[in-house]
Amino acid sequence: MQKANIVVALLLFAVGSVVFYESVRLGYGWDPSGPQAGFFPFVLAVGTMVCTAIIAIKGIRGYKKGTEKRLIPEGGLKPILWVLVPSAGMILLTSLIGLHLAALCFLVFYMRVVGKIGWVTVVLVSVLIPMSLYFLFDKFFLIPLPQGVYGGKILFF
Amino acid sequence: MENLHNLIMGIGVALQPYNFLMAMIGLVLGVIVGVLPGLGGANGVAILIPLTVTMAPIPGVILLASIYWGALYGGSITSILFNIPGEPWSVATTFDGYPMAKSGKAGKALVLAFLSHGAGAVLGVVLLSFFAPIIAEFALRFGPAEIFSVMFLTFSAFVGLGGKDPLKTLVAIFLGFAMAAVGIDIVTGQLRLTFGSINLMGGFNFIVAVIGLFGLGEIFLTVEEGLKMEGIGARVRLKDIREGFKEIGQNKKALVMGSIIGCWMGLKPGGATPASFMAYGFAKQAAKNKEEFGHGASAGIIAPESAAHGAGTSATLPMITLGIPGSPTMAVIMGGLMIFGLTPGPMLFVEHPEFVWGLIGSCWVGNFIGLFIVLAFTPLFAAVLKVRFGILMPIIVYVCAIGAYAVNNRMIDLYYMIGFGVIGYLFKKLDYPIAPMVLALVLGDMAESAMRQALIIGGGSPIVFFHPPIALPIMILAILIFFWPTITSLRKKYAARTTIGPG
Repeated sequence: MQKANIVVALLLFAVGSVVFYESVRLGYGWDPSGPQAGFFPFVLAVGTMVCTAIIAIKGIRGYKKGTEKRLIPEGGLKPILWVLVPSAGMILLTSLIGLHLAALCFLVFYMRVVGKIGWVTVVLVSVLIPMSLYFLFDKFFLIPLPQGVYGGKILFF
Repeated sequence: MENLHNLIMGIGVALQPYNFLMAMIGLVLGVIVGVLPGLGGANGVAILIPLTVTMAPIPGVILLASIYWGALYGGSITSILFNIPGEPWSVATTFDGYPMAKSGKAGKALVLAFLSHGAGAVLGVVLLSFFAPIIAEFALRFGPAEIFSVMFLTFSAFVGLGGKDPLKTLVAIFLGFAMAAVGIDIVTGQLRLTFGSINLMGGFNFIVAVIGLFGLGEIFLTVEEGLKMEGIGARVRLKDIREGFKEIGQNKKALVMGSIIGCWMGLKPGGATPASFMAYGFAKQAAKNKEEFGHGASAGIIAPESAAHGAGTSATLPMITLGIPGSPTMAVIMGGLMIFGLTPGPMLFVEHPEFVWGLIGSCWVGNFIGLFIVLAFTPLFAAVLKVRFGILMPIIVYVCAIGAYAVNNRMIDLYYMIGFGVIGYLFKKLDYPIAPMVLALVLGDMAESAMRQALIIGGGSPIVFFHPPIALPIMILAILIFFWPTITSLRKKYAARTTIGPG
């Protein structure tokens, strides 16, 4: 936890310095029409860098070896990755075949592989839910959800 | 008197069949959302905002607000029956609610929780109805310096009174503002923080951020602990209701204190979550039976629940009068208002009174009906959690994705959603507060333009923010609150020194 604290603080410091760079580029002073575009970001950047630096320094100074509490509890990383990676995969798939079909794959994958749920339920849920959400959102509420490159061809309605 | 008239008109608007239907749907959805992990008040509302775009403003906002009221009630169900807080503001309820349920008095616990919610709601809505017009009129005289000072007060409250490390709170706020700044600068037309990327030109939409931070982030947190949803079955019987009323009568102080703390926290933006913890702490300190706390003390349920709901309802007040949301979920609802083209703030009262009073009216209607809905249908809502997590989880992610995409029809938002999910998870683990970051993201553009205008008026000098009669006291209060933790720790050191004192 302490290591992660320091690392994240340094990462955020880096983010702050990026904003700082931008604000310098845009100009952080005054011009005839008032504060320049970089003025507000400049204040933010300085604030972020100062605060994250203090957090990082406090973390480094107070670092006690051996009292390291784990960031992620024992055995917690795997379930998280099992959610994160397939979800990311579903999004990537969406640009190919559209959200509803990608969701179908995601549902099948997660329910079967992670949830270890019986085939009947898996098929029922992964077909019915995307179908009903498709009709609800795309047809009834008329909110176009991504079709992807091939999605429109696979579902021809 | 005129306000009473307006209020009655507002309630009339809220009771119109279509609006009433929206309130009902919102309430039921809200309770379900409150019960499910991963779909919370803030992000449940966020997901449904794109839907409401196709509706007229009044029913649309009534739907969104009703989801919030429902979620406030719903969070209690899982806290008491499953020891899993369905919402961040129901964590304190698990301390005494679950033990009471385990000892066989689940029905009573639920009734206590719901009735307390109702009481908090009543106080919140009463405050809302009577103070909203007064504050709105007052706020009409606000110039950019005053607007900025109120926002400064809001964020100072998070830093000084938020209960988390002030440095981390500041970082969260700065990051939120920075994210709001990404894209095209309104005043100069320049591209900021886009680094040549077309995608970044569109900036970050707060709805996507909320869905990622609160939605996916919450799911990661739920999953890492490998939660099993084994709950205690409960039905609310008439006997429980009678007992519940009696208990509340015996714990009037906790109820009143909780409601007041809640409404105070909702007004001075903080939200339902800090309100519930504060009320629990107070009730425990003030109680004669301290040892019972943590094992099923009635006051331990009554206080945080009335506070949470009081905060939730009174959060509406600063939102519609000043344009400052009193809680993260209210920030999302405010965003929804802005999408409808309604700018929250004093002008709203002048230009769209039927909307404002309709919303206030639906607060009355929605919160009361919500009480009956949860009292009657708790077992149904609790049954939602009996669905296997393996089925529920991917569906929740799927629905979140729909919400995130529907905002602006951009694929990139889906990627942002996942990114925000990771950020939300990390931030929660490392104790960086997310609420002020979301607030900063929503208010960023407004805050910046207020600051710029004020500085131009003031000729470049920051003294303009300390101008009497309105901005000065607000800024002084803000600075006081900002340095509150430093002040209290200095006071403690001084007190310790004087007791060691001469000798």
